[in-house]
Amino acid sequence: MLEATDVRRHFEGMHAVDGVSLEVPRGRITGLIGPNGAGKSTFMAVVAGTLPATAGRIVFDGQDVTRMPAYRRARMGLVRTFQLPSEFARLTVLENLLVAAPGHRGDSLVGALLGPRYWRADERRIVGEARGLLKRFGMSGKESDYAGNMSGGQKRLIEIMRALMLHPRCLLLDEPMSGVHPRVADEIRGYLQDLRREGLTILMVEHELHFVEQLCDSVFVMAQGKLIGSGTMASLRRQPEIVDAYLVG
Amino acid sequence: MNTYYAANLLIFAGVDVIACIALNLQFGVSGIVNFAFIVFQAAGAYAAAVLSMPPDTSPDYSFQIYVGGLNLPFPLPWIGGAVAGALLAVPVGLVVLRNLRSDYQAIALLVTSIIANTVINNARPWLNGAAGLALVPQPLQDQIDPSTDSYFYFYIGLTAICVALVWFIAARIVNSPFGRTLRAMRDQELVATALGKNPVALKMTMFVVGGAIAGLSGAILVGFLTVWAPSTWLYPETIILFAAVIVGGRGNNLGAVLGALLVPVGFEEVTRLLGRLDIGPPNFIPAMEWVLIGLCILGFLWFRPEGVRPEARRIVPEGFESGVRVVGDLD
Amino acid sequence: MNILIAAFGFGLVSASVIALAAVGFTMQFGITNMINLAYGEVMIASAYVAYYIDERGVSIWIAMLVGAVFGAVFSFLINRLIYSPFQRKGTSQLGMVIVSLAVSLMIANIMLPIVSYFPVSYRERFSNLLRFGDIALTVNQIAIIALAIAIMAVIHALLRYTRLGKAMRATAANPSLARNCGIPTQRVIDAVWTITGALCGLAGVVAALDSDSFTISSGAGFLITALAAAVLGGAGQPYGAMIGAVVIGLITELSAAIWSPDYKQVVAFAILVLVMVLRPQGLLAKRGAAAAAG
Repeated sequence: MLEATDVRRHFEGMHAVDGVSLEVPRGRITGLIGPNGAGKSTFMAVVAGTLPATAGRIVFDGQDVTRMPAYRRARMGLVRTFQLPSEFARLTVLENLLVAAPGHRGDSLVGALLGPRYWRADERRIVGEARGLLKRFGMSGKESDYAGNMSGGQKRLIEIMRALMLHPRCLLLDEPMSGVHPRVADEIRGYLQDLRREGLTILMVEHELHFVEQLCDSVFVMAQGKLIGSGTMASLRRQPEIVDAYLVG
Repeated sequence: MNTYYAANLLIFAGVDVIACIALNLQFGVSGIVNFAFIVFQAAGAYAAAVLSMPPDTSPDYSFQIYVGGLNLPFPLPWIGGAVAGALLAVPVGLVVLRNLRSDYQAIALLVTSIIANTVINNARPWLNGAAGLALVPQPLQDQIDPSTDSYFYFYIGLTAICVALVWFIAARIVNSPFGRTLRAMRDQELVATALGKNPVALKMTMFVVGGAIAGLSGAILVGFLTVWAPSTWLYPETIILFAAVIVGGRGNNLGAVLGALLVPVGFEEVTRLLGRLDIGPPNFIPAMEWVLIGLCILGFLWFRPEGVRPEARRIVPEGFESGVRVVGDLD
Repeated sequence: MNILIAAFGFGLVSASVIALAAVGFTMQFGITNMINLAYGEVMIASAYVAYYIDERGVSIWIAMLVGAVFGAVFSFLINRLIYSPFQRKGTSQLGMVIVSLAVSLMIANIMLPIVSYFPVSYRERFSNLLRFGDIALTVNQIAIIALAIAIMAVIHALLRYTRLGKAMRATAANPSLARNCGIPTQRVIDAVWTITGALCGLAGVVAALDSDSFTISSGAGFLITALAAAVLGGAGQPYGAMIGAVVIGLITELSAAIWSPDYKQVVAFAILVLVMVLRPQGLLAKRGAAAAAG
């Protein structure tokens, strides 16, 4: 589904990503782990297009997207979430989801000027979809609250739901469990497993190794901008260099 | 209260409201810090002027040198004003609204505003330089005598129609899914990009729309004043409008109207009243006015950054998705 | 050819004046992340303070010193009372630009009733002309060049060899890391505003001395020229600002000689806009000026 070849990202003399090549198989959850500063988030940003690659190639579903700007990759179905809270704070929770919906008749200048009668049908459709998602993820009661007032775990859920509104084919999750209450993290784990069952491809950066173990079919390890290992968690634990570099338990 | 005073007040208020709505669309809703805003209003005024004035070779106009002079009847010059504002937005937007951090963008626009003013000021053959344009024909001045009260009522009515039109357009934009996308982009541009929104295209669109409306406001103003010079559109004028949008409330049209009434109009009136009192050295009152505007901006940014009338929270009614009739308007 | 060489001489003077202003401005930005749009107004206020002293018979050079001190105190206070609180409150970069604009407006208009619109000039603005081949400069102008070179050397020494200088560079590179390493960032910032404020004041008096006359409205022009040099050299880079000052000084004087003196400022402004658009990181790039820099 997703193929990165010798991706590099240099910035101000620092080699944040230094020649990483990996493959994300379709319909599976792949993990990307590594110590702090390994360049994982930078790599994710390059794959998603929010940062340009200094070198290398990124192929998504057979198409070379290396030069494509982020918004076009998102429209193609390659969607990312962010490590730091990135909800639209001054929009309600529902609006956060609605704004993500693609192909809305009212989402253009002409559409807006033509008025509600022109786009109301589309709006009804996506409101239904959004409310469905909110119900599935247990946040129906919060739909009219400002997203900025939500807790860390709720913001994470909003991000995931928002990404789902785009009908992604490959989801790039950047530390979805970070800063989240363990019980909520467990719920997220359940949702992700459901999504995988429904055929969604996921590449996930994560620190909480027990989640990585439960969720990921295969794992890549990065350190200092380079890929230092790959395989299942079990096989990785047997490699002493990797354990030394990073794994604790 | 005589008619001229009332007309002056109402027309300036109308123009300020239109300008604030435009600036709010750019800054309050879309997050574009257009510190060159006043140039767009000026473009509209100049365009309307040279479209409606006769060619400058005729004896009446021998003291002025300018381009154009097409002697077009109303409403063409006003449409021309809006078009001029929109057209100017294209190159300026293309050059500035790219991947620049937002404070750089703001400064680049501020400097552009100063450059434009200096160049027009010095380049006499274009728009008559520092002296500016005078004797600009007024709309329908051949049909209605401009010195009568009826003309004032007519002009006030014209302005009111324009205000209503601009309000309608702005409301449609802000209360639509498009408006929602703009607000999201304003709040977190990078995240909006990751959700498939093209920020450059969105910003260019709103830059052009705002430019057109600003141009219209300039056309209305010049039609009433019949004069227009570089001293009318120095860069601090943009700051007044920013103060208005910040004070009134960013992101919503009602806030923009409130801001327009409180800041530019309010200060105009206060100056008039205090001007009669003759306090202190010359220039004291206008100068203090500016100090107050500065304090206002600081005060609101500190205590109430959302403004007098903050952006309303949008709530979707129960059962909306299944086709229940939606009653009432948002905003 | 003579005109060009003469223009080169004027360019050096211009560069000196601009350098004094630009280095201060860029250091303010580099170390405190503040684009201080009130910089020009502080310059002109210091110029006026020097004017009042000069009028009373004091030597212009002493007046210059007083102007520098005034600039230092004024800038320190502006930061302590206004900029710092807003920054601590978490105001966005953009909000801070608006804050500094508001402050510049207020300064200009508080000065206005006091000094009024009429242009003023220093007593010593005329001095003897000296010739070096085709270059003809007055004693004042030569003194300005010498002063600028001396001050640049002092700044260089400060940044490279003193503890304060190193602390400044550390804070510029990474404020939170600097704080964690035990650098008293609050005191460093106070020192920065005082020192750059002194530069600002000095630059204001020098710029005013180099002009035929100056008024309240000269402030905006000073600001933009300093801004242009700072951005050209790379925002936050003092050495970049020096280079930028030379480039702009020379280009504006050459354009005045070849084209028209009326447009000198426009040329400087145009360079600024061009640089911001084409190479926002400037000649000596440090921090990314482009958005989405990671």
